[in-house]
Amino acid sequence: MLVIKGLKVRVEEKQILNGIDLTVGKGEVHAIMGPNGSGKSTLAHVLAGREGYEVTDGEVLFEGRDLLSLAPEERARAGVFLAFQYPVEIPGVNNTYFLKAALNALRKARGQEELDAMDFLELVKAKLQPLKMDESMLQRSVNEGFSGGEKKKNEVLQMAVLEPRLAILDETDSGLDIDALKVVADGVNALRDKDRSFLLVTHYQRLLDYIVPDKVHVLARGRIVKSGGKELAKELEKMGYGWTDGAGKKEVTAP
Amino acid sequence: MNALEAKNTYFSQFSDWEKTALTKDPFWIRETREKALAYFQETGFPTSRDETWKYTNLDPLFQIPFALNGDRISKEAVLPELNSLGFETAKANVMVFVNGHFSKALSGVSEPSPKVKIRSLIESLSDGPLKKHFSHILPFENRPFVALNYAYFTDGLFLHVPAGERLEKPLHVVYVSTNSGQPTQSHVRNLLLMEEDARASVIEHYWGNNLKPYFTNTVTKVSLDKGAVLDHAKIQQESPLSFHIGTLAARQNEGSRLVSRVFSIGGALGRSEVETVLVERKAECVLDGLYLARGHQQLDHRTFIDHLSPSCVSEETYKGVADGESVGIFDGRILVRENAQKTDARQSNKNLELSNKARIYSKPQLQIYANDVKCTHGSATGQLDEEALFYLQSRGLGREEAKRTLVYAFAGEMVERVADGYLKAPLQTMVKKWMEEKMGGKP
Repeated sequence: MLVIKGLKVRVEEKQILNGIDLTVGKGEVHAIMGPNGSGKSTLAHVLAGREGYEVTDGEVLFEGRDLLSLAPEERARAGVFLAFQYPVEIPGVNNTYFLKAALNALRKARGQEELDAMDFLELVKAKLQPLKMDESMLQRSVNEGFSGGEKKKNEVLQMAVLEPRLAILDETDSGLDIDALKVVADGVNALRDKDRSFLLVTHYQRLLDYIVPDKVHVLARGRIVKSGGKELAKELEKMGYGWTDGAGKKEVTAP
Repeated sequence: MNALEAKNTYFSQFSDWEKTALTKDPFWIRETREKALAYFQETGFPTSRDETWKYTNLDPLFQIPFALNGDRISKEAVLPELNSLGFETAKANVMVFVNGHFSKALSGVSEPSPKVKIRSLIESLSDGPLKKHFSHILPFENRPFVALNYAYFTDGLFLHVPAGERLEKPLHVVYVSTNSGQPTQSHVRNLLLMEEDARASVIEHYWGNNLKPYFTNTVTKVSLDKGAVLDHAKIQQESPLSFHIGTLAARQNEGSRLVSRVFSIGGALGRSEVETVLVERKAECVLDGLYLARGHQQLDHRTFIDHLSPSCVSEETYKGVADGESVGIFDGRILVRENAQKTDARQSNKNLELSNKARIYSKPQLQIYANDVKCTHGSATGQLDEEALFYLQSRGLGREEAKRTLVYAFAGEMVERVADGYLKAPLQTMVKKWMEEKMGGKP
């Protein structure tokens, strides 16, 4: 599904990613953990195609296609979805309008017929329920005035409607209380599928109690310094990131 | 031509014109024309040294000799054209002027209320209320285009809504400019008299359907008696090579309410002025404006709200979008005089620059001489939000569609505020069409 090889990324003059190698298979859930400044969010943004990042080396293949050569909207249409850490407020753009425009852009790219307003509304209402979202949210401007929890739920709603092949969740747990976290996690778990892969980017182990990953990778100083099963997250929680820091240093100094 | 040569041309055309055009003018009208012309001859056109014309380049206007006496008929039927723009003309009173002359044949006025007068101004010169208000002319001082209009006006709308009466259907007045030969000028003068508790909804729609230059110069005078309510919209949709200069000047008595909405989209140079004097207490005005400029257009807006009396409310919101190498101008002045205690005045101007070469000049001015007032104003000019664009793109919207979505979210607010369905739907279409033409593709 996703193959990252030797990815090096610079932001302005600063090297953030120093050679990432990662393979996410079909239907797998991978967690990327790491302290602040380790490059987690950079990785998520580069995969989604945000501007301002310079890829200096390496490549990313998504279902065999060169992902980095695609515009953000082309990546979305190919099936990549990024749930933002800070979903953007867009005053004046109605949430329903936005969701429908997005879904139809994707459907068009897949050669499917565009949905009309009635069919779309039926579809979106069915997706709202498990997220415990109120229908009135559909009539509001995109994320405008939403609470932190509402914003994250809105991201998961978009994901549920757009049905991506690869979903990247950037610190989706940040700023959520435990109830909201459970709802969001349930929403994500409901989307788990043998054909859909997830990349969970998170600082805390907490999220992984609710969305249990197949693999956990630890990112430090722009590199994956440790990979393992879900038990790795527990170890991290016990020992803290200082433990990986040492490992990171060792790797950096190794020739 | 430079400004001085242009002035002399506009002055000297009068003597030939009056021989043929003004034979039926009553003496008192002729007198104002001559006074106005004399004033214009004395002051001439404004220059960039005039504070209120600082950012506007009038030179292109001076380069073209515009002839008086444009065609009086339009070869095209206007009503079907309006319908194609989305106006359901069957639901309105439609009055059509062609190059400044009333065209009864093209109009469709069927106002159910018998006491309301919807007339050609020039055919109503013997009307009592008209005569009374006509003599209270706007001072021309610092208004050379108003003086020019007073000298050369050919016709315009005369609306009289007597006390307690209401115009049941919106009045859609279309000023069409056509020219089959040389570039023409037309000067339109409108008078709207709203007596006590009268109500009306009026659309002044300036519209050109030809690709040659022309010059439209308009003055609309509005009088609102106690409790009267006027919902006024001006759509400036002149053709691309044209020049449009227009002033709306209102006086409001106690508890009256004026809603003025200006939509500027057409013309090479478009200037719209709106000024209202809140003469008596508890008068209210809402001044809304939207300008969408592109190419080399100059779209210029000047407003003046004069809080003369206590407890009046003014709420002003102007928004502009400038693309290409266009210029968008907002110059909004609010004066709260010493006597105007308990004034509530709000002003906001927001602009979006879509290109590096587009320029926005925003000049909000609040002058307060009373001490117990609530006044706020704000002005902001920015570019499209890259974060929001990326967010929309990351959900599959193409970059151009994402831009259109954000521009409509910004500009559309001014259209969404329109309550009247007759006007709202065509305006939505107009703004969307502008974005499609500008940014390609359908939203």
